[in-house]
Amino acid sequence: MSPSVPLPLPAWHGQAYSTKRFGVSINDCDSEPVQTPGCVQAHGALLVLRMADLTIAQVSENSADVLGTAPAALLGRPLHELVGAAHAARLQALVEESVQASVQESVQESVKPPARQSEIERSPSYAFTHMAVHTGLALDASVHTVDGVVVLEFEATGHQATEERNFYALIRRSVARLQRATTLSALGDIACAEIRALTGLDRVMVYRFHDDGHGEVVCENRRDDLPSWLGLHYPAQDIPEPAREVFRQTWIRPLRDVDGGLAELVPLTHPDSGRPLTMTHCALRAPSVMYTEYLRNMGVAATLTLSIRRDDKLWGLIAGHHYSAPFEMPYDLRAACELLAQIVSLQHAAAEEREHAAYRQRIDSVQQQLVTQAAHEGGLAALLDGPPTLLDGLDTGGTALYHRERWWCAGRTPSERELDALRGWLAARPEMLLRDRPLFATDRLSAHYPPGQAFADVASGVLAIALSHDAKNLVLWFRPETTQTVRWGGNPHDKPSVVGPHGSRLTPRASFELFVESVRGRSKPWLAVELEAALRFRMLMMELIMARAEQLAGLNADLARSNDELDAFAYVASHDLKEPLRGIHKYAHQLAENAALLSDADHQRLAGLTRLTLRMDSLLDSLLHFSRVGRVALQLEDCDVGEVVEEALEMVAARRGEKPTHIDVPRPLPTVRADRVRLREVYTNLLSNALKYNQQATTTIELGWLAPHESAARTAHTPHAGWPAAASGQTVLYVRDNGIGIEPRHIDQVFKMFRRLHGRDEFGGGTGAGLTIVKKLVERHGGAVWIESTPGGGSCFYFSMPADDGLEGPP
Amino acid sequence: MTEAPEFILVEDSDEDADTVQQAALRCNSLVRLRRVLTGDACMALLQQPQAELPALVLMDLNTPGMDGRETLRRIKSDPILGTIPVVVVSTSANPRDVGYCYRAGANAYHLKPVRYTEHLEAMVAVLGYWLDRVVPHPGRGVKP
Repeated sequence: MSPSVPLPLPAWHGQAYSTKRFGVSINDCDSEPVQTPGCVQAHGALLVLRMADLTIAQVSENSADVLGTAPAALLGRPLHELVGAAHAARLQALVEESVQASVQESVQESVKPPARQSEIERSPSYAFTHMAVHTGLALDASVHTVDGVVVLEFEATGHQATEERNFYALIRRSVARLQRATTLSALGDIACAEIRALTGLDRVMVYRFHDDGHGEVVCENRRDDLPSWLGLHYPAQDIPEPAREVFRQTWIRPLRDVDGGLAELVPLTHPDSGRPLTMTHCALRAPSVMYTEYLRNMGVAATLTLSIRRDDKLWGLIAGHHYSAPFEMPYDLRAACELLAQIVSLQHAAAEEREHAAYRQRIDSVQQQLVTQAAHEGGLAALLDGPPTLLDGLDTGGTALYHRERWWCAGRTPSERELDALRGWLAARPEMLLRDRPLFATDRLSAHYPPGQAFADVASGVLAIALSHDAKNLVLWFRPETTQTVRWGGNPHDKPSVVGPHGSRLTPRASFELFVESVRGRSKPWLAVELEAALRFRMLMMELIMARAEQLAGLNADLARSNDELDAFAYVASHDLKEPLRGIHKYAHQLAENAALLSDADHQRLAGLTRLTLRMDSLLDSLLHFSRVGRVALQLEDCDVGEVVEEALEMVAARRGEKPTHIDVPRPLPTVRADRVRLREVYTNLLSNALKYNQQATTTIELGWLAPHESAARTAHTPHAGWPAAASGQTVLYVRDNGIGIEPRHIDQVFKMFRRLHGRDEFGGGTGAGLTIVKKLVERHGGAVWIESTPGGGSCFYFSMPADDGLEGPP
Repeated sequence: MTEAPEFILVEDSDEDADTVQQAALRCNSLVRLRRVLTGDACMALLQQPQAELPALVLMDLNTPGMDGRETLRRIKSDPILGTIPVVVVSTSANPRDVGYCYRAGANAYHLKPVRYTEHLEAMVAVLGYWLDRVVPHPGRGVKP
């Protein structure tokens, strides 16, 4: 309601309220004065007595029917005229005791709290049994004081109707059962069963208030032929705040007969004070019009409602419904039920504790198993492969784990794209950066994170824990929207027989629709025990990750050691092979110098021997170099490719010789992130090949490049077999020549170690390691190498360099 | 006239030893070249109490027994022998070997090329440098 709109005045504005007179005009549950209805249920009678002399100040208008004396004959008269001196004296004693107690209470308040609670102040107690002479019925009279007046209520004892029951024995048995409950639902089930057995009601339910105020039927015991209401949810509006307030103050609320009629107080307000009677604690209090209408719409004839309280909070209600007929609930039966409600409340914390302990134990055992599994199998996949999986611990609909740059999901989760966005948002939440407790939990994600609306059905509830200090790695658990999980079997009580004056709003169907609206985008809330379990799981995971990191460090050390050994081996091998080679070369040389007597053919042979030793020498050098290229750490920096090319051209200058060579650079070369020395080596190899394998009069070499977006467009628009997909979006550099070209069938061969396409002395010779080294160097940078070539038409050697990071780190 | 300086050559390969010998012949100055096959033999020679210290040790790294690295380390860490210049001549271009030797106090590190003429020229240059250009170390009697 907008504050600018004034509240409409109620129909009884300026007068005392009476449900009987004004009830039908009510149109808003919250505006109904449920604590001062001015009326009682017509099966009993109520007297308001002055505390000082027990004279009758107010009386319910049905006093003639119930007590045999009309209001006019009672008002202003002392009580003993109606109930006799003995009962009046008993009442007098109770009241005086109460007055003393409250005086004591106020005196001792500052000295010795808590003082003894006044026994009948706001707490109806049995006073005496009165025989109604005109009907012959025994009436139980219960008394309580409120706002300085004495309230005396008369109801039939019901002893004639039912046989005497030993409530003490019944309750003792019930209490023993309640104490054994290990879960809340067991406690509720026992309470429902015991109260139904005790009272004979058709249906007894435990109705739980959720944190957002909406209610759910969590336990039920019913007549076999009735449909089950278990699991049904109701909007907060169904039990409005004034009604809840009454249940915070009283343990019990009986309604004998929905259609039993009302009796108004005469006079409606207290003759001395002019105030309406506060009837919060009256057993006979007239029910709210909204409530009775709802009950009628459901076909309920009578109800008994008890409170379940936890630490002064209203946790829920035990609600009893009776369909077949009005339901007699004499004082002693009510007292027994009230006691049970109090015991349920007392046992509630203990049962929940036990339930949570069991749940915690289950989660812990699953999580322990998971971590053991993951440690054993050496991978996080074990957390989701199961059994068990990450889903088996916490009660959730889906789970996702982000680690090592990827998602691991199980159950129902948002898409990876949605997860990525959510992860980015979570990483910025301050909760996720707390050192000891990096946890974020909500049962209403879209309220914090609007994009969450798109996947509210699977993940209205999110519980997140960080696995790293920057919250980059994390575990998420998801809970679906409550409406997704609510069991709803249609109208729980079929069609209402009659829809009352307030229309169909006060029906279960309308309630359900209202409820759905109120819980849109909400999930079942996360329990404290679940948050703690998630944090314990985090600790286990961190230990696991730490252990894995150590293991990896160990593996890395092993790898580094074997790399070192390989390195040493390559040197030793080349060294040891070169030593005899040097000797052979020397003898061949000396023989050639000294042997004038040798034939020309022998001279040729000696020259061949010398040449072969030198070739062997360069092969060994290439091999050694190649073995190092794969292992030496890259020193990445931003390299101006133009400068690198200049250097490379200088290094191959000798090879250019006398032959006219034209170097063409169509546009300035870019800057790439690379190891400068290695990049230069790539260029010297490619340039030296371009210079070598060329029979044109003028050698023309074009050095060019494509920016990442150009290479992406090229791969996308002209898919070419030779263009690797990996190069898309990378900077592509090329060296194009007008040389001899390569036949297609040989293109794959050129990158193979020591593989030569031409005679070893054609085109200036070479070891055949150059392109192999180029390929290795480019791949170590995270790029690719490929060739476009036509025999006789020249070749173009392409290589790509990643546009940003994504480079291989140090080995 | 002073006696020709003595160089010790630690070299197990006869071919390489011969190349050094050839190089010595081509030098302008006289040199007494004394070859040992192993590091152990080199140390034994140097540790004779009365012996004059050589002007230079030419050291191959991969010698049998105690290798060139260890021999180098021992010479350079010895209070008396440490002044003797040690020049490493090796086939290995392994940066680790090069680094080790310089750190251990080698006075130079030369590669042995496979090509004979290059090898010979290199050795002539090395020997010539140490014979003609370098001030000899003062020998055993001089306190540092």
